[in-house]
Amino acid sequence: MASVSEMYDVGWEEMRDKLRKWREDNYRNSEQIVDVGEELLSEHASKLGDDVWIIYEQVMIAALDCSRDDLALTCLHELRKQFPDSHRVKRLSGMRLEALERYDEANKHYDAILQEDPTNTAARKRKISILRAQGKNTEAIKELNEYLEQFVGDQEAWHELSDLYINEHDYGKAAFCLEELMMTNPHNHLYCEQYAEVKYTQGGLENLELSRKYFAQALRLNNRNMRALFGLYMSASHIAASPKVSAKVKKDNIKYAAWAANQINRAYKLAGRGTKENKCSMKAVEEMLESMQITMS
Amino acid sequence: MLFHLRNLVSMGEVELSCRAYVKMYLHACLFPRCSINGLLLSSSSSTGGAVCVTDCVPLLHSHLSLAPITQLALTQVDVWCSQTQQRIVGYYQANACASDSSPTPCALKIADKITEQFESAVLLMLDGNKMSPDYRVPPIVMYERKDSRWILKDKHTIMLRQWEETRAIAGQMLESGDHLLLVDFDSHLDDITKDWTNQKLNSKIEELSSPVNGNI
Repeated sequence: MASVSEMYDVGWEEMRDKLRKWREDNYRNSEQIVDVGEELLSEHASKLGDDVWIIYEQVMIAALDCSRDDLALTCLHELRKQFPDSHRVKRLSGMRLEALERYDEANKHYDAILQEDPTNTAARKRKISILRAQGKNTEAIKELNEYLEQFVGDQEAWHELSDLYINEHDYGKAAFCLEELMMTNPHNHLYCEQYAEVKYTQGGLENLELSRKYFAQALRLNNRNMRALFGLYMSASHIAASPKVSAKVKKDNIKYAAWAANQINRAYKLAGRGTKENKCSMKAVEEMLESMQITMS
Repeated sequence: MLFHLRNLVSMGEVELSCRAYVKMYLHACLFPRCSINGLLLSSSSSTGGAVCVTDCVPLLHSHLSLAPITQLALTQVDVWCSQTQQRIVGYYQANACASDSSPTPCALKIADKITEQFESAVLLMLDGNKMSPDYRVPPIVMYERKDSRWILKDKHTIMLRQWEETRAIAGQMLESGDHLLLVDFDSHLDDITKDWTNQKLNSKIEELSSPVNGNI
């Protein structure tokens, strides 16, 4: 089989840089990381300088994700040799046990770390991940809440918690988590849009109006967010169609919905130029927008 | 051993086409760490007798229980179906937790909604544990609606035509990385130039199916 460098005509520096980009952007493209990383480490490890250790870590985690225990062990072995007493490496050992579904042993590893260093957030989060992997969502939620009381600024944890609440259909609490995230990340359109989706799901006129506002906010932050655009269209249409709203509110929402429909049509026309591929989706959207207009007026 | 055992009473049979199965399978393989879902379609107009699932539309791989995108997708697929003489006859889901193949509340809700339009709607769960190549049986369990509850369906009334061939095609496409071509509704919203009807993938599946067997 051809090597990565042969197939893509890249040198070791580009491979190293790609791995760095994936690390920095926190991508989980584990199959690719394994392909590139395995080759880089086996053929160019000596050229990587101190970067080699973080690459061993990155490749090890990716290897676990792809059930490549052989590769994971190789990386772990190198890291253990270099950093024999490291908690960070111990956590990686724990992760390997998790991948092998040896959860009790993994928990022992993490408990040992926490004994020596009770503030080790990584170990605590792994324990919560184990609960999730075992399907123990209620316990995971409880632990995560306790964690957040101590580490209230941990964005990743707030997002994980909101996901857990969404899975448990506890939309009120999910909304609370997303409110925290929006406060600390006011320019993040994805949080606004997710919050709007949760509000829409909760239903009722008040929540629908909130959802419309936040879909609109998401669009202000990123006018290409299609989910927000469709969300604005749908929430405004539902509000306009509600018998409980005043004539003014109805009129305003018809306007919002019409604007959104227009933007959606434009976006699809632009997307449809030159490709036959998405003709089906274009036609479906057009007809959907037409039919919803009729029910609204 | 013949996989498709037929009940003598021909009610409640479900037939799953190669195309529908392969796309569901590839959808699950494309997002192994997420819960995924999609709609089952039929282009057959037969009422009563077997439900023939001839195609599927992969929908989501995130936040399955949130309403807006699900509603949007249902509406759009409905419109597309009426444009192409198909109808929505069921729903499939694969849970992120591979050892859990039971339907979630949102799966039941969507399946209920589909039943409003199609009485014999089918709810299909993929069994993550049985998706490895060593398993020779289809990794699916089906539920049907009886007295407003969804109960596990007798697996002898599920037919996959040419199962060995279907299984081989699914495996081959996964090997060659064709699952990366699959577009679900979520991916479509990230990039609306992508086609959630997956015409390209459909053609590939057709190519790989043995011409001797005729239609899929």
